Amino acid sequence: MSIVTVQLGQCGNQIGFEVFDSLFSDSHCSQGLCSKRENEAYQASCKERFFREEKNGIPIARAVLVDMEPKVINQTLSKAAQASRWKYGQHACFCQKQGSGNNWAYGYSMHGPRHEESIMNLIQKEVEKCDSLSGFFVIMSMAGGTGSGLGAFITQKLQDQYSNSLKMNQIIWPYGTGEVIVQNYNSILTLSHLYRSSDAFLIHENDVVHKICAKRMNIKQISFSNINQVLAHQLGSVFQPTYSSEGSFHYRRNPLGDLMEHLVPHPEFKMLGVRNIPQMSENSLAYSTFTWAGLLKHLRQMLISNAKMEEGINWQVRPPLSGLPPLGKMSVNKELHFNTSIANLVILRGKDVLSADVEAFKDPALYTSWLEPVDAFSVWKTQRAFNKYEKCAALVSNSQFLVKPLDMIVGKAWNMFASKAYIHQYTKFGIEEEDFLDSFTLLEQVVASYCNV
Amino acid sequence: MGRRRCRATGALPQAIATLSRSLPAGPSPEIFRRAKFDRPEAAPVLWQLLFRVLAPPAADSTWSSLAPEAQAQVVKSALHSLGYPRPVLAQFPEGSRELLLALSWLLARGPLLEQLLDKTRVQLGDQLPQFEALGSLGPPVLHVETEGPMDLRRVQWLMGKLRFRWRHLISSQQEQCTLLGKIHLYTSGCHSHQNLGHLSVTETEMLRDPESSQQLLQALECENTRLEAALEWRCCELVFWQWMDTVLDACPVEGPSVASQPTVLPMISEHGLGELELIEQELQALQEELQEVAESRRAAWEAQVRGLGRGPEWGTTRKALQESVERELAALQGSWEQSSRSDQLHRPHRLVRSKEGAPGPQGLRAAEVIRMLSAQEACLKRMLHQLQSQCQQELARLSGTLPDLIWILAPRH
Repeated sequence: MSIVTVQLGQCGNQIGFEVFDSLFSDSHCSQGLCSKRENEAYQASCKERFFREEKNGIPIARAVLVDMEPKVINQTLSKAAQASRWKYGQHACFCQKQGSGNNWAYGYSMHGPRHEESIMNLIQKEVEKCDSLSGFFVIMSMAGGTGSGLGAFITQKLQDQYSNSLKMNQIIWPYGTGEVIVQNYNSILTLSHLYRSSDAFLIHENDVVHKICAKRMNIKQISFSNINQVLAHQLGSVFQPTYSSEGSFHYRRNPLGDLMEHLVPHPEFKMLGVRNIPQMSENSLAYSTFTWAGLLKHLRQMLISNAKMEEGINWQVRPPLSGLPPLGKMSVNKELHFNTSIANLVILRGKDVLSADVEAFKDPALYTSWLEPVDAFSVWKTQRAFNKYEKCAALVSNSQFLVKPLDMIVGKAWNMFASKAYIHQYTKFGIEEEDFLDSFTLLEQVVASYCNV
Repeated sequence: MGRRRCRATGALPQAIATLSRSLPAGPSPEIFRRAKFDRPEAAPVLWQLLFRVLAPPAADSTWSSLAPEAQAQVVKSALHSLGYPRPVLAQFPEGSRELLLALSWLLARGPLLEQLLDKTRVQLGDQLPQFEALGSLGPPVLHVETEGPMDLRRVQWLMGKLRFRWRHLISSQQEQCTLLGKIHLYTSGCHSHQNLGHLSVTETEMLRDPESSQQLLQALECENTRLEAALEWRCCELVFWQWMDTVLDACPVEGPSVASQPTVLPMISEHGLGELELIEQELQALQEELQEVAESRRAAWEAQVRGLGRGPEWGTTRKALQESVERELAALQGSWEQSSRSDQLHRPHRLVRSKEGAPGPQGLRAAEVIRMLSAQEACLKRMLHQLQSQCQQELARLSGTLPDLIWILAPRH
């Protein structure tokens, strides 16, 4: 089943390009470590999901590009055309000549309604070219004006028009010390609106990915391109084909639906984080070998200690012993705390994957009291290696990963709001103080729900 | 007497043989004979047959793997919910005579053979999915007990999963529609039948793979045999019912509990006006009962209302009440008409793609079906809304009884 991607704003378009590129390179990679037939099935599955055929054979990405400025879209299109291995649809982009000025209200109340028809038409055309639609990816950032405001608007319209299709928003969490002064306002408005119309958020924190680039990949001058490539690698390792069930060798048809069913059925818990391992540049790959046991042990500790990276993991954090009283309600200020999960999905790709042992993830102590590990934990596997990594593992987790960052953003936004700083820029375009208050209420509720898990 | 019995003896095994040919996996006449004498070896076969007949159609694959005891349980609860008058059947696996009586009761009460044949029809065309009748009684459900109180969040979690699966189902159906449309488009002009014009999936499959056409042919021949048997049965069933009377007589006389129950065993020995008179009498009795009840309620209401004033307020209230009653009545009538008109939807229909404006022979047009379904949807939405507001009122009432509780409604999105 196919997924239509909507790339919004500068961030969305740059990342979108890297994602499609990564998916394409992986599916055409010659070092898949599997039989030719399996490789073909893998390719076909990836293609059905993300690309479509054209007469002359070059696959076209199932994507719609939207931005209020032409610069980034033109760059993206030309990059794709240059490499000429895949491309974007000829009429798949929409752009204007003016930006959004990092103003969420402008994106939501002005650009949104004004360009609603054109954008939804583009999306409709792309949807019609799918035999079966699984759902939508909306790639956007939270801090700017176009991605965040217009993104929230478009997601709402998708909910109205395609209520049966699934919607996953890939959200780029801005740097803590970001450049945009009002990024916290933009963030809380985006999240609160999306909570009402989207099914799941897959959140990528710029700070985290930046650190991965610096420490694990030894990149000296980290550009957005590096960051986006790491992101794309993470997403690819989640959404490339996997076997549909234990013991089957058929690829699953609807990974988006399966993922959502396992991880986000509860309406209050929609925030997902991704961790993957190993995190190293491809150049160092040739010199390292891994065992599944080692990888999974690290991944599990990353989960429970809320580590963002493979190194510097705090091995002191342990799950609470059963029988003892729970480790108190989680306080946002505590340094050493255990990350309780609501649900987890582990995805394993590579050699000898069928022998990988994930029992440690089924420990009930990792999860909340109201879900059994059999419901809360799932694992997807494929023998086909991803992007030349002999073995790689990804974890998509609905857990307390994002409570602290969310709480921080809400706190900062509240401080600004209390002194009414910059509010007039929003009220000018129809976002009233009450909308802010609604957003604060909703997000406080989300934080409380996650803390009380 | 002797001569009649002589003729009957020849015709009876034939009649029973015909019956068993028309049933799916019908037992041999010998089984029937043994069941009359309550022989234990006939019981398992009859239990299986009853299960096949009574088990809900959609769940066949999972339910056929049930243990025999569980199957017997299903049979008993199904018979009970259908109103089978005889006391609960004997413990599994005995009681073949009772099973025989149950089978013949089912045969007599409703168009059982026709229903069974319908269930296993061989479809050549692409079918419209069968729509469940509004408010139809579902099949008997096996209850599952929950172990103790459950966290609300877990329930919400499960509801969410259900919703996702529902959406997945709808997407799959949309996919199926798209692909069906493609097949119909690509094969237009291939069908020999003028009115149809294009091939269905089964027919396309037959062309691609001759093996499957052999299987289809076998299935059709099998169905033909059963249909012929059913027709024959209509001619010679009288003999069977006369014999069933003897089976009933062979039953040991039960206690007074059986006699007190109204014998609804409709061993139809003669068709005709006798039945109709009975129905007429029952309807009249029902009407009189309703009138009595309505009278007493009206009287009580009048008595209540007499106390209230006749001021202008009362006038407007009364008008508002009248209007709301009229609206409800209209809605009820509307839904009644809907359900009677939408009976057409419950028959199987073949999907045919035709050019716009082409003279459609018989059958429904898509637009009409969509209209009927939209009307049903609106009706169900109204019912849902009504139930939801009833729930809200009940919750508000309950929360009012707890003094320290503040009631915060979830925001409507």
